[in-house]
Amino acid sequence: MLSAIFEQIVNGIVSGSVYAIVAVGMTMIFGVLRAINFAHGEYYMLGTFGAWFAIEYFDLPYPVALVIGVIATAVIAVVVGRFVMQRIVGAPPETGVLATLGIALVLQNTVILVFGGGYKFFNGGYIEPVSIFGFTLAEQRVLIIIVCILVFVGLELMVTYSRMGKAMRAVSQNIECCAVVGIDVPQVALRTFILGACLAALSGVLTAPVNVSVYGGMGEIITFKTLPVIIMGGLGNVRGTFFAAMILGIAESLVATYVGLQFRDTVGFATLMLVLMWRPHGLFSAQARF
Amino acid sequence: MMSALDRRAFCIAMGLIGLGAASTDARAAEDGAVRLGIVAPMSGPNSRYGSFSLRGAQLAAEEINNAGGVGGRKIAITSGDSQGTPVEGVSATRRLIDLDKVDFIIGDVSSSVTLAMQPVAEDAGVLLLNAASSNPKITYGAGVGGFKWTFRNYPTDENRALVVIQYAAEKRGFTKFSVLSVDTDYGRAAVEFTKKYLPGFKGEVLTEDYYKEGEVDFRSVLAKIRDSGAQAIIMYGLADTTPIIARQMIEVGLAGKIPLIGNAEFNTESTIKAAPKALEGAVEAAAWLPAWDAPKSLAFVEKFKAKYRETPNNHAYVHWETVHLLAKAIEAAGSADRAKVRDALSRIKYDSAMGEVTFDDHNQARLPMILLQIENGKPAIKGAYSAEIKYPAK
Repeated sequence: MLSAIFEQIVNGIVSGSVYAIVAVGMTMIFGVLRAINFAHGEYYMLGTFGAWFAIEYFDLPYPVALVIGVIATAVIAVVVGRFVMQRIVGAPPETGVLATLGIALVLQNTVILVFGGGYKFFNGGYIEPVSIFGFTLAEQRVLIIIVCILVFVGLELMVTYSRMGKAMRAVSQNIECCAVVGIDVPQVALRTFILGACLAALSGVLTAPVNVSVYGGMGEIITFKTLPVIIMGGLGNVRGTFFAAMILGIAESLVATYVGLQFRDTVGFATLMLVLMWRPHGLFSAQARF
Repeated sequence: MMSALDRRAFCIAMGLIGLGAASTDARAAEDGAVRLGIVAPMSGPNSRYGSFSLRGAQLAAEEINNAGGVGGRKIAITSGDSQGTPVEGVSATRRLIDLDKVDFIIGDVSSSVTLAMQPVAEDAGVLLLNAASSNPKITYGAGVGGFKWTFRNYPTDENRALVVIQYAAEKRGFTKFSVLSVDTDYGRAAVEFTKKYLPGFKGEVLTEDYYKEGEVDFRSVLAKIRDSGAQAIIMYGLADTTPIIARQMIEVGLAGKIPLIGNAEFNTESTIKAAPKALEGAVEAAAWLPAWDAPKSLAFVEKFKAKYRETPNNHAYVHWETVHLLAKAIEAAGSADRAKVRDALSRIKYDSAMGEVTFDDHNQARLPMILLQIENGKPAIKGAYSAEIKYPAK
């Protein structure tokens, strides 16, 4: 019984890690641009498609495909960031909603037009099960947890010590002051956006081997799972996002086991409503930042 | 200024493209062809079904047209995308009826969508010939049951549930089951009918879960099933999800211990390849499969492979066969008049690859289910079973 619960918690940590890597990009983009990126799941999808393409058409090994998936997404993110996201800085909030929703439709349907709407089979990664603490787990899932920890340590260091991290924090606090002291706000916005998109793509490629199928509409559900995470974590809060993602992942896993699989998606949306009602600024901040 | 001009040019260009597309649509309707609409999920999680369905139907139309058409008229197919959801299915059906002026509709694959399409076709007086939905309710409510314009050329889940559970209980000796099915009218109804027959075989359901279309994480529920002591998993699911579940069955240590029984394309080559260990011993009742040993069926597989370089699935076959069935009904009616074709259909005796097709008073075709088991990575056919459906007395 106890080991069963422990196994479910580990399952939750794995899915939480996936949410965390996607959500942290979305929350950083919000911090800088003040816009929820509704197209965020599409970068997850693009990364996966990039890797799938590399494996299927060029027979490349999985690690190379991973790099290609992320780079392909970065290239698309540069274009989208340059022409759309940079213009959102300082624009009214509805601009961001419409622009990113539009981008989501364009990206998703372009992929469907090019590759067809059917499910593709992702043939790569490390799917052999390994035995840990008395239960089995695909190697890939262990990799996901490790990468998630590395990503968050890296981001924490970057945001605290690097010049770009400091600029990002500054822009998220006050755009006008940044402009006055000579921070290139559009440049910071663009870089944050590319970083966020790449993280989403990384998460996509990492999960593809265990999720097996790749298809054009796969990003949508990720966007909607990510929303409750970033709101729970406090918009723009990197550390909060990590814990919120883990909480959601574990809660989903326990609900799927002890209540029923059909109620799994309810968890995220129910939490979203509760958090918005009682702690709209997130679980981990004392007061609202925005 | 410059960007305003660009936008205008862009709008005009898009408008022209739209006009071009519209005029090709109009052309197809003018040549006196029999207009047939195919409603199927062409995008979304079930799009694989849709693409097979449309290709099957197109192959049949091509064969008929090359042989001179029906009564000298060619068959023109228009595709409607239901995205596998009732809302989109209904609007696709309306578009086909109102804009494309089709006389006949074959659709949809998903039971939920077909159930929603029935009243639309009924109101318009357009013949809805279903070829691939298995929820029993569709024909419970057709013919003498209500909808006069709905016909179904596909066996139902009532038949399927009985065949599967009987085999699992009598031949494999299973009594303890877990349910893991898709959360739709198809998945839920199949389980409902399974439960209706379970007590007769002293079977019990230990756990019951339904997954949403697009679900990818089954570890939690599979671990629960592993610990529950179930002997088999009753699964009425989606073909595209089967490889995901099968792979995760290997991961949590279920593979080779608890087989899948039901229907979710366990017999497809690529699915078996994805997780051979998990699918070994799986039991499935299918309306058709490529290995079915009948000359007409084997000839179809060859033709389909030659044209699309892919082995057809069940949906390709049923749509191919149903287009031929419709053509036969139009021939028997002597015209493409909807009411005459409908009457011809209810009296038809059609030689399909699965045996002779006739319709009962609920417009339900009498068709067998093929029972198969995956043995050494290949589907082995265990027989074909049919049952006359006993409709509830009103």
